[in-house]
Amino acid sequence: MSFKKILVANRGEIAVRVIRACREMGIRTVAVYSECDRRSLHVLLADEAVSIGPAPAVDSYLRMDRIIEAARSTGAEAVHPGYGFLAENAAFARACADAGLVFIGPNADALELVGDKVRARRTMEKAGVPIIPGMSAVPSDKAEFAAAARKLGYPVIVKASAGGGGKGMRIVHEEKDLLAAVEAGMREAGSAFGDSSVYLEKYIAEPRHVEFQVLADGHGNVVHLFERECSIQRRHQKIVEESPSPALNPVLRSKMGETAKRAMLAAGYTNAGTVEFLLDADGRFYFMEVNARLQVEHPVTELVTGVDLVRQQILAAAGDKLAFDQDDLRQRGQAIECRIYAEDPSRNFLPSAGKVLFLKEPCGPGIRNDSGIYGGWEVPVHYDPILAKLIVWAEDRETACRRMAAALDDYAVLGIRTTIPFLRDVVRHPEFLAGRTTTAFIGKHFAAWSEGGPDEEKTRLALAAAAYADSSGPARGGGPAGPAASERAETPWTSLGGWRIGGPGE
Amino acid sequence: MKFEYLVDGAVQAVSLEKKDGVWTVSAAGGTLEAEILRVSDNEIVLFTGGEARRLFLARDGDRLLVSAAGREFVISSARADSGRFHKGDDRSPDGGLEVRSPMPGKVIKLCAAEGDECRKNQTLVIVEAMKMENEVQAGLEGVVKKIHVAVGDLVDAEKTLVEIEPKAA
Repeated sequence: MSFKKILVANRGEIAVRVIRACREMGIRTVAVYSECDRRSLHVLLADEAVSIGPAPAVDSYLRMDRIIEAARSTGAEAVHPGYGFLAENAAFARACADAGLVFIGPNADALELVGDKVRARRTMEKAGVPIIPGMSAVPSDKAEFAAAARKLGYPVIVKASAGGGGKGMRIVHEEKDLLAAVEAGMREAGSAFGDSSVYLEKYIAEPRHVEFQVLADGHGNVVHLFERECSIQRRHQKIVEESPSPALNPVLRSKMGETAKRAMLAAGYTNAGTVEFLLDADGRFYFMEVNARLQVEHPVTELVTGVDLVRQQILAAAGDKLAFDQDDLRQRGQAIECRIYAEDPSRNFLPSAGKVLFLKEPCGPGIRNDSGIYGGWEVPVHYDPILAKLIVWAEDRETACRRMAAALDDYAVLGIRTTIPFLRDVVRHPEFLAGRTTTAFIGKHFAAWSEGGPDEEKTRLALAAAAYADSSGPARGGGPAGPAASERAETPWTSLGGWRIGGPGE
Repeated sequence: MKFEYLVDGAVQAVSLEKKDGVWTVSAAGGTLEAEILRVSDNEIVLFTGGEARRLFLARDGDRLLVSAAGREFVISSARADSGRFHKGDDRSPDGGLEVRSPMPGKVIKLCAAEGDECRKNQTLVIVEAMKMENEVQAGLEGVVKKIHVAVGDLVDAEKTLVEIEPKAA
């Protein structure tokens, strides 16, 4: 079985990624878009596009009814949800099935199970998967938190049962701060997820975040595609990911990979998914959660294994058996990904929406750029700030780090601020180069980051460019203290015609 | 040719001369000599000291954005820029204090009403962009004189959200 047409229920770089995979497989694509996304890249690349409502996500990308209607009216047979929005929503997976559409993701029951953190923990514990010591149920009485925390031993972490992305999380070092942290966590969880239940876990100081990619075909075949190290995080959000992890040896890798497969089998999981572990300094690992979707950082796995994960998702959803088994899979070389966000790192990562006035993306051997933007496009304020992901591959980690640093230097985005300058410094940091990456890395080394010191040489270059530009074409909106037009110097280039940067009426 | 620009809040004088196809640029405490090649509207290459330095440029209103060897600069004409507000708040023409949005976004909450007294650093408005909430605070103690926005409004960066009448010293 195979699909002829797939609806992509997402936007931005991930929708573009899915459309590309479909195109290569000879499958037609339907994009959906909100009012502010009419000119977005995913809409331009798809074969068809359907408008699904106003800009706010609740009125468009989260409207199951409109998305399903769009699939019906265009004759799509399957829906790829990407990540975020409806990707891990079991009700959406069921609604698709009810409408006769194939949801390209895990089955609804597994989705529901792994989405409930407390139930997932219990299932994993039963299956013999190591879990972080913690409460096995959400307590009904606040007094239970203090007793549980004493038993676990401080520090403990308050976590939202329905959570993710750091929302509702609080680290508590002493009993006197516990109740306030639990209440704050409940408030934050309630407003973020509509479910205020929280629980406690033992807090592991400075762990690594190591996750395993798994594929399951629904015919009982489960393989893992090795790990991704995602320890470089800001405010609990991953910003740099890589594979292999500098912290694993072949024995630990194989042990964790087999554990990840066991976890997915216990959950009755199908399609692509990821098992997240915390790894402590002594090589002990603990199950954290299952991400029941294609992940943002999936390209690093694709580059080291040579497996196209989106294609595998589509094949598995169509009912195909996996065409390879565990022994066929190898990790080759080193891949690193940097997430490019529309945030201003010099102003505390303030969101930076607006028009992309100029864009030059890096390219070259071993460089991949999964992007959802183009020059002249306006980045809307309504959605997640991710613009693109820059991924490099090289034979070894040292070469991959250098390739990434050079590729980031070659990346120019003008008009909006991005995290590129920050990432340039992260991938050149001695601790990063040494592979000593933990979740404490950014807080420790980059808490007071600013973009370099004064750099007179680069400032001079930039000023030379400005003066040259202004000498060969007048600036708009009040020019510099330059000469009158008649005094302007002739150059072989300016004499070819009036040159101006940008132009009027843009 | 002489120019004056503002870079990172500092005034920079630039002199640019061309002789025998070579440009001499004096700026930022030094001088460079270069042949300059215009590649496109958005790209020039400076051949200087045996190196080719590739620069990307884009004009944004009266500002020029330049990406120079992995570093981004916002350059504005010193003259056009005088009198422009750069902080999140500043004096309005009639002496009130304007509290401005630090970024484009959507007003999701007003935390004060006209006539309310406010403390320094008190949150007045919450602006959301890209799923991140940002609290916009009062720059000083005073009374909320006028609120210029309503919940649900989309605002640009630097848009005046609230005016405060500073407390008499």
